[in-house]
Amino acid sequence: MLLYLLLGTSFGFILSRSGAADYDYIQGMFLLEEFQLYGIIATAVALTAPGLWLVKRAGRTWRGPVRIDPRPFNPGNVAGGLLFGVGWSIAGMCPGPIFVNVGEGKIYALAALAGALVGAGAFGTLYHRVQRIFGLPPLAAPPLAAPSLAVRTGKG
Amino acid sequence: MPLILTGLPPLHWAAAGAGIAAVTLLLLVLANRRLGISSGFEDVCSLILRQAYFRRESLLSAREWRLPFVVGLVLGGALSAIAAGGWTPTWDLGMFDARIGFGPAGKLAWMFVGGLFIGFGTRLGGGCTSGHGIFGMSNLEWPSLVTTLSFMAGGFVTTQLVYRIVFA
Repeated sequence: MLLYLLLGTSFGFILSRSGAADYDYIQGMFLLEEFQLYGIIATAVALTAPGLWLVKRAGRTWRGPVRIDPRPFNPGNVAGGLLFGVGWSIAGMCPGPIFVNVGEGKIYALAALAGALVGAGAFGTLYHRVQRIFGLPPLAAPPLAAPSLAVRTGKG
Repeated sequence: MPLILTGLPPLHWAAAGAGIAAVTLLLLVLANRRLGISSGFEDVCSLILRQAYFRRESLLSAREWRLPFVVGLVLGGALSAIAAGGWTPTWDLGMFDARIGFGPAGKLAWMFVGGLFIGFGTRLGGGCTSGHGIFGMSNLEWPSLVTTLSFMAGGFVTTQLVYRIVFA
């Protein structure tokens, strides 16, 4: 738990100081006036990709055999991506920076966080309807099954 | 261009990108976890909501890392402000103030609407800049590339509309 807190804090600090959590840099990216965010994302992918390849080749992590659940395609990727992009532009924040901006003391970020929670809550509540429209996978877990944080299937 | 928070120039993009890659890989190597932040909204929802969607094993089993991670994001932002000279609540919003100029109430409404799109859109799209843009693309998953192109397109059209047409 401390590990995740530390990783999150490092990630948050970097986002805060990089421009990724800055309204003007996000607009500058979408206005094609600022290279900063393109450089950040390209560098991150260019360095993460070979690292991932090595981890997968080794096949193991400190917590058991490496397990990366792929994310299969469904039409929701396109529709959801478009909607998220609209929100990213309006708020000038993607999900990580929403939390970072709250920490920075930007008061309006609390409204973005509230909106995101309501949006995610609405999606989960309307899942059965949205599922039919976009051909999303059915829910695997039985409703109201007792949450089991200790058991992690497929691991170990 | 200075950052709104600090008034200072940002980190070099290569340094920031390398830092993001380091955290992403550490999370995988140390914890066997795939980076993905927008699912954190569901984690928070799952603390209150009881619908089947929020009781999935895949969601609940990831709370152990993702909830402390997003708390860390908040802490990281606070530390960044403190290290830059002090943490102070602010309404400053850069070019939004210069070009659109809504006051506090308008900003809250604007941000809430943006948040709705982000919360619903990332759930429908199955991820955000971190899970699809960084991790998925690094793992050469084509659905992540499609999603990333989709949210870049959505953001591009919206910003162009807002700053080149409506508030030009």
